[in-house]
Amino acid sequence: MNLVRANFKTGLVGGSVIVYLALVGILERFQDRNVITGVVGLGTTLVLLTMFGTGYLVSRPKDDGTSQPFGEGLVAGAFAGALTAAVVLIFEAMLGAGIQVRNMLVSVTPDLLDLLEFGLGPGLGSVALVAVGALLGGLAGALRLLPEDVRGAINYSLIVALALSLSEPLMDGILRGLGIPRRWLYESGGLTIVGTIIVVVVTAYLRWQWMRRRDQIAETRAHMPEDRRILYRRITLVALVAVLVALPWVVGPFISDVLGTVGLYVLLGLGLNIVVGYAGLLDLGYVAFFAVGAYAMGVLTSTASFLVKPENAPFAEHGFTNFWIALPFVVLIAVVIGVLIGAPVLRLRGDYLAIVTLGFGEIIRTLVLSDWLAPYLGGAQGLIRVPPPPPAALDLRDPQHIYYLILVFGLLAAFVVSRLGDSRVGRAWAAMREDESVAEAIGISVIRYKLLAFAMGAAVGSLGGVFFAAKIGSIFPNSFGLLVSINVLSVIILGGMGSIPGVVVGALVLVGLPELLREFGEFRLLIYGAVLVLIMILRPEGLIPNKRRQRELHEQEELVTVGELVTEEGPA
Amino acid sequence: MSHLLELTGVSKRFGGVQAVNEVDFHADPGEIVGVIGPNGAGKTTLFNIVTGFYRPDAGKMTFDGHNLVGLKPNQVTRIGIARTFQAVRLFANMSVIENAMVGQHTRTRSGVFGAILHTRRTVEEERRIQLKAQEALAFFGDRLIPRINQLASELAYADRRRLEIARAMATEPKLLLLDEPAAGMNPAEKDGLIELIGRLRDEKGYAIVLIEHDMPVIKGVCDRVVALDYGSKIAEGTYDEVASNRQVVEAYLGKAASEVQ
Repeated sequence: MNLVRANFKTGLVGGSVIVYLALVGILERFQDRNVITGVVGLGTTLVLLTMFGTGYLVSRPKDDGTSQPFGEGLVAGAFAGALTAAVVLIFEAMLGAGIQVRNMLVSVTPDLLDLLEFGLGPGLGSVALVAVGALLGGLAGALRLLPEDVRGAINYSLIVALALSLSEPLMDGILRGLGIPRRWLYESGGLTIVGTIIVVVVTAYLRWQWMRRRDQIAETRAHMPEDRRILYRRITLVALVAVLVALPWVVGPFISDVLGTVGLYVLLGLGLNIVVGYAGLLDLGYVAFFAVGAYAMGVLTSTASFLVKPENAPFAEHGFTNFWIALPFVVLIAVVIGVLIGAPVLRLRGDYLAIVTLGFGEIIRTLVLSDWLAPYLGGAQGLIRVPPPPPAALDLRDPQHIYYLILVFGLLAAFVVSRLGDSRVGRAWAAMREDESVAEAIGISVIRYKLLAFAMGAAVGSLGGVFFAAKIGSIFPNSFGLLVSINVLSVIILGGMGSIPGVVVGALVLVGLPELLREFGEFRLLIYGAVLVLIMILRPEGLIPNKRRQRELHEQEELVTVGELVTEEGPA
Repeated sequence: MSHLLELTGVSKRFGGVQAVNEVDFHADPGEIVGVIGPNGAGKTTLFNIVTGFYRPDAGKMTFDGHNLVGLKPNQVTRIGIARTFQAVRLFANMSVIENAMVGQHTRTRSGVFGAILHTRRTVEEERRIQLKAQEALAFFGDRLIPRINQLASELAYADRRRLEIARAMATEPKLLLLDEPAAGMNPAEKDGLIELIGRLRDEKGYAIVLIEHDMPVIKGVCDRVVALDYGSKIAEGTYDEVASNRQVVEAYLGKAASEVQ
């Protein structure tokens, strides 16, 4: 009886989630989307997942060790199903009595009820809801009884299968592009039954092997000779670059365009990572550098720029200069503005700094919008006719082409940022981030290193603006709102502060995900928000956190030196 | 004769509180000076004035031929004064070796371009930083060296104290200021600390000024002791002289106690 009472509440919460998803219309709307074609749609999958999740959550190990995972999951799942069944029966009864439920709850359609009843009718369906809830909840609980590696493998394989199914539009395109047979895997928008089984079994097996051998692999790596390890690292890097180079042709123009935008955010994220991740200066006005990069490039190269506009004609034939000549000057301008913005905020810390930088971001946006600067920056009309980077033969406005340009500069920026992080300068930033006063007491000129962080952050971030201008071909003030600053900050928080791979993954999730979710229409941002919340709850340190690099001692010679020092100066 | 560190008539006031009041103070090369006094006597304020965190309202300060007044903390470190803090303040999310490497900051010069291009000078300098940092860590025998890649926050308390001293040593100072190094230590660790401070002077040649409440430690290492109370210097001399000084006993135990004696 205790078991029932203890897990009753969580079960009802699970049931409420299902009812909520049903009433807002998500379930019915998503049901059209196949997860496993001919077996289960996305709507039903959500119901089942919620039941499973309820069982999994409720059965987590307790502090007092009185754990009965199977029973707990079973009870909670059953109650989740029971609550849903109760609601379904109420609606059925109301419909039966001729009450117009849809006057108030527009989503309650016969189709929805049918979905919740698994197509079995009200009576059998309600029983099925309770039974399925108990079964899935119990199964989820039973997972807790399995060894960790097996449980991890099962969870992982289910997630992969679901992800594969949901990314069908993207994956199907990629497979087609690569000429890989895909009929076995996908069928009318979902996974095939055979495909699902293969995917689940194969990923579970691989994951299981990986979990078992992880320590062993790490061990082998640690004992690998230095040159060997460097070789492997290089091979991985080359493979990675090869994939990145092949990508636009595999995924086609639309996704390439999205990847270009992701690339812009990677550049911005790398720059902000210096300021926030390395130096610990919370900058909420980072969009300023994005704007400076875009506008500086626009003014210098646009054929409509005030620098070249002839007296009577609206447009000149050429801009003031071309992209490549302008680029270093743009970066230089950004550095100067970075220092100018950095200087007044040197004495501020934490929250105060954030507020002031927020102000600077808005000032820049207001300036580019102002009538005062309109003759130079175009005001609300913006700057148009920014030509793509020469040579014209390469057609660098094409999404598949400019992707490479962004890729090259992204790699360059990543290289610079990683070298900086792992240097005397990077250590000074890290020390400043950890404890400003102590850093100062150790001999670091806090003023100097703060300015340096702003300058470097501005230089890298301005590249984002530069390619934004080159990619779009026109620049409007409303592209430089507060949301950009927030998005870039989210990219690095999501990816993991101070981590370069984190920036890339963060940008992919934050910029790429909304594009992939387009088919979910009006629920797109709801799902997007839910995913972000989930990620931050499950991985508050970010997707790829920056593990402080384990600095391998340069094995032999230095250990000897240390040994000498110990005997020389050790306790007598 | 001119001293390594010399303070003349140094004062500092916070609002209505005279934190430090016309204090004369000096330390010579190879000397270990203890600063004692009840809580709030102005000991740590004195350290903060010397290291540039506070600017004195009045008085003169010189160190090794440099005028100390008006220097910023990082400049003070550059000319050869290093310090530790009352509550251990390490760079918690940096590794042990990185903490010590940061100490080398003022003794090195590599900047952004060296870091990006890995110029020969930068690479050599980076190597030297590593070595100097390891040298500082190795001073503590096998306490820190085996934990070189751990995060500072993962160290045991006593090792954190050690690392803080190692970080100060890595700045290559002439004068080391220790703010209550024995706080939170057990008697055995205190004995170790007494030995350590002696070694810091004998092997490294530092002048050392330490603030300490623990009298056995003061007695064990100090050549000279200065007592502060309400910001003013009330006694100076050997441990025995200061310990028997009527004003000092009063400051610590109250007036009645000194009358009983």
